[in-house]
Amino acid sequence: MPLGFVDTLTDNLDEFVAGFGTTVQIVVVSFVIAIVVGTLVAAFRVAPNPWLQRAGGLYVEFFRNIPLLVLLFISFPGLRRAGVEISAIVAGIASLGLYTAAYVAEALRSGVFSVSKGQIEASLSLGFGYPETLRRIVLPQAFRTVISPLGSLIIAMIKNSAILGGSILALDDLLKTGRVIQSRTFETIPSFVWAASGYLILTGLATVAIRHLESRYAVRR
Amino acid sequence: MKFATVFEWLTVGNNLRFILEGFAINLEIAVVAIILSLVAGLALALLRLSRNRIVSTLAGLWIDLFRNLPLLLLILFLFLWIPQSARTAWESAMPGWAPEAFQSGLMLAGLSGLVLYNSAVLAEIMRAGILSLPRGQAEAASALGLNYRQAMRYVILPQGLRRMVPATVSQLITLNKDTTLVSIIAITEVMRRARTVTATSGNPFTGGGVDAPILEVFLFVGLLFIIVNFSLSRISRRLEVRERSRTGAAPRPQVRGLEEQVA
Repeated sequence: MPLGFVDTLTDNLDEFVAGFGTTVQIVVVSFVIAIVVGTLVAAFRVAPNPWLQRAGGLYVEFFRNIPLLVLLFISFPGLRRAGVEISAIVAGIASLGLYTAAYVAEALRSGVFSVSKGQIEASLSLGFGYPETLRRIVLPQAFRTVISPLGSLIIAMIKNSAILGGSILALDDLLKTGRVIQSRTFETIPSFVWAASGYLILTGLATVAIRHLESRYAVRR
Repeated sequence: MKFATVFEWLTVGNNLRFILEGFAINLEIAVVAIILSLVAGLALALLRLSRNRIVSTLAGLWIDLFRNLPLLLLILFLFLWIPQSARTAWESAMPGWAPEAFQSGLMLAGLSGLVLYNSAVLAEIMRAGILSLPRGQAEAASALGLNYRQAMRYVILPQGLRRMVPATVSQLITLNKDTTLVSIIAITEVMRRARTVTATSGNPFTGGGVDAPILEVFLFVGLLFIIVNFSLSRISRRLEVRERSRTGAAPRPQVRGLEEQVA
């Protein structure tokens, strides 16, 4: 490895670390949003009320079929032009979170269907209501079956977070940092390789963590 | 802004046509990229399944590398790294009948990024499809005297690839969405065009001081994608149901589709 290669990292270490930190923040906050909203939408989709089901379905089809980049344009310049004072980071994190929530909802829904009917019948006959059955009986079991799909979603989210830095939002995440350093130093390959390594560290860590969780909790059905 | 105003705004001065033509470019890019990715993905999957340890390991590393990198990072890197001479060569090599968008040298970086990423994802899908076949198939093939190549060609691939049709359609949906990313390297597909028509604060065609309806125009662009992708997902589901009823009691293929994968 030529020395200049390492220099690109050591000379700009602070910036790379800051960019890495921003990416981690974006991913963590968006993932929390995705889990909360996704769980709600999944509950809608399996609710006994057909209107709730339809609303849940509409949410999933909208956010799953629209490009994330279009969502970013809607949520940042679009809303601002329409008079909503929204900041780039809020727009970006909300878009990424709501976008991924649609996939989380689908993963959870298939998890809910993997819980056997007998469990639900038993719970209902024990006097639990519908919300309690969902919360105490179905969801805890569903979560265990969906560990691996949720894992794939986290990895996809880490990758998708780059769109926030690369597009009009221009958040100072890892990709943006790599680009800025490239345009300053003209060291194209090192700048991008170091930015890419940051993403690979994150996706690698996520893979290891998921494998660990899977071996502890996952239930194969 | 009222819907009628947006409609008026879209139809004035061919804005609507401008955007729809841009959307057609996205679809063209998606079709070309999925075909190239299927070919490259199959090659990668076969290398990955190779009995040669070194070949299989190298293919595995390649697949894991490109599957785990953000697509936008790949596209931006290729855009900055591919030399001008290669772009010029692409431009002169592109035949005249090719769609206009492909005549631009920028498309080289955009397409290579899309194909590098998607071929790696598809290779994993194909590998899973092939590995999901019961062992007995390969054993029966070799008992019949077929060698590795013949067994792949006549027994394993036809069945394994059938199983991945729904997952491939799902990947096409993802790819369709990802084509918007090439707007960042200044390829004038639908996003660029929507930005162009909304870039002015006043309406350039009516001359009035009306603010461009950014929100509505991008909602419209989003709607175009939702219509196409929703139809594709319906087709995918129908194919899956048909495949399952055709194979009778065969277990549900263990192929990871879009359900588990945002990309």
